Amino acid sequence: MTAKNDYLVKKMLAEQQKEQSAKRALQIFDKFKHHPVLGYVIFAVVLVLLQVLAKEGMISTSFIGAVGSTLIYCIVGLGFCLLLGYSALASLGTAGFIGIGAYITYFCFAEYNVGVGVAFLLVIVVAVAVGVFVGFISLRIEGIYLAIVTLGVAQIIKEVLSALVDTIKISAKDITIFGMGFEIREVKQAVFFLIVAIMLLLMWVTHNLINSPTGRAMLAMKNSTSAAQAFGISLMKYRLLAFVFSTILAALAGLLYMLYIRSEQNSAGTLFTLSTSLNILGAVIIGGTKSIWGTIGGTFIIFGIDKMFLQDIKFFNDNPTLITIVCGLLVILVVMFFPGGLVQLVKGGIFKLKTLFVKWRVRRYGIEE
Amino acid sequence: MDFSAYLTILIGVLPPMCAGILATFAITLIFKTSYTTNFAQGVISAIGAYVAVELTLEKGLPLWGVAIIGVVVAFVVGMLIDVCIFRRGKNVNAIGKQIITMGLISLFVGVIPFIFKVANYESVPLQPFIPITKQLVIGKVSIPYNTFVGLGLTIVLMVLVFVLLQKSKWGLSVRATASNEIVAGMMGINTKVITAISWAIAGALGAVAAIIYIGNATFSSALVMTTTQINAFLAGILGGFATFYGPVVGAAIIYLLDVIIGCICIHVPELSMWKSAVVYGIVMLLVLWKPQGLFGKKMVKKV
Repeated sequence: MTAKNDYLVKKMLAEQQKEQSAKRALQIFDKFKHHPVLGYVIFAVVLVLLQVLAKEGMISTSFIGAVGSTLIYCIVGLGFCLLLGYSALASLGTAGFIGIGAYITYFCFAEYNVGVGVAFLLVIVVAVAVGVFVGFISLRIEGIYLAIVTLGVAQIIKEVLSALVDTIKISAKDITIFGMGFEIREVKQAVFFLIVAIMLLLMWVTHNLINSPTGRAMLAMKNSTSAAQAFGISLMKYRLLAFVFSTILAALAGLLYMLYIRSEQNSAGTLFTLSTSLNILGAVIIGGTKSIWGTIGGTFIIFGIDKMFLQDIKFFNDNPTLITIVCGLLVILVVMFFPGGLVQLVKGGIFKLKTLFVKWRVRRYGIEE
Repeated sequence: MDFSAYLTILIGVLPPMCAGILATFAITLIFKTSYTTNFAQGVISAIGAYVAVELTLEKGLPLWGVAIIGVVVAFVVGMLIDVCIFRRGKNVNAIGKQIITMGLISLFVGVIPFIFKVANYESVPLQPFIPITKQLVIGKVSIPYNTFVGLGLTIVLMVLVFVLLQKSKWGLSVRATASNEIVAGMMGINTKVITAISWAIAGALGAVAAIIYIGNATFSSALVMTTTQINAFLAGILGGFATFYGPVVGAAIIYLLDVIIGCICIHVPELSMWKSAVVYGIVMLLVLWKPQGLFGKKMVKKV
């Protein structure tokens, strides 16, 4: 009798334990499911898979090349998201900052051959200096005026850089990444992985920055500088921070650009010009200024979609300027009709689908008691 | 010291300066009536110039006639942009409007090769109004007669526009719309028409600027006016968008700075590499010194 009881008790305990552990597992899963970083990790894994598939020859190299160069612009966009979406500082100096990163990288690899670690450090140090400088400008000048002044700063940077060296180019055999040398064929792959890693890191950092007291302070500053100051938020501190952050990201993008594309000329001379700055501004606006995913989506639309998909369609291949027309129209339409960007569109769409589903369920099964 | 070298530099800068002044006024007009910086200004003016170039090179018409046609086309394009896009986008914020003008750039850059045959040429040799070889020679300095045409055209247009702004009913309506659109509307001014006409006039002035500009430079793409446009924006900041004359004076200052630095470069050849950077640097310092612009008024923000 007792033996049977013991057995039953043990069985019950075991079942309880099983249930509890299942519950705990579910809780952990829930926690991760709603953890925002999971999305970023999945995104990175997908990108890595794409590169692996491209190596196996299942995806064309031009496609993966377009993805890589778009990711570089995504990094710029992340910085811009913080600058524009959270601090409301419109800057048109982005192209100049990318240029600084690219030129430093050029000097590090082609002239002095010191490797990527030193280049990273130099890029960040110079970017901090430039960011602080522009940040101080932003304390004196605001709004559209600031956009034009930063445009002037970018123009100065462009003139100075092109006076230093006319065109810049790194040969693939010079590139070493953290002491590792690569075969010429493999350089692009290795740099792609580096881009994805940096991208993941920066997405995570941006996410944390946005959801921290810093992000809150920036939002307060965006909505009303006077109110923010009344609450003890230092305009200088947060404006400088926003500019330094976005400048670092832009300069890092310049570094990655030089490693990946390796020549300024490949971008048809559009790397350091006003149109790059405008395109990045457009990408962030189209995607939705206050969202990381929106920024990335917008960047893919502006920079990626023509090289990734439209070029393969014969119709667009015959008339290459049609792509520019489509992009221009898209920008105008999105800004006119979806001021919140594509994120708003997607969120609205999901909400509509959900309501439709609920309506369908009510019609099918009646109202739940 | 040889004075003629300085004069030669000044004369070389005059045509771009005329174009810059016209473009600056156009941008100011749009900024004051639509509250946006029009990045597409350069492309709109390039369309006017393309019409002129197409008609001269393909149809063989005289430049005087086609220049007027080009200006009219730019006038219409400017007006259409306002009527079709900006009138419908009233709830778009200032940065959104900037982005729309950016979208317009891509749109027009894409459309131009479909419409104009000359856009597919490597570079377009547009003859100036009077051939560049016909020059007025005073001592060592020779001035192309064409420069006088550009200068005269600019002065006449600017005087005309400013007199109209001060004396005419249109000018009063524009100034009222610029200071407060809603109140102007309540006072019985048709702000829609005023804004549309402002866009149209800006387009027309831009086309004149482009035709003056490309008579003295090679016309390579629809983005030929980009540098002029950047100078015009900086001029707006330098003079201050608060007044109409401020930006125009700012444009003159920027181009004269260019002349001065160019003159210094004769003595210091090492500087010539950094010429543009120095000019922009000085402009930046001036702007930092007076953030509202040289002729700006201090805006008092109400909380």
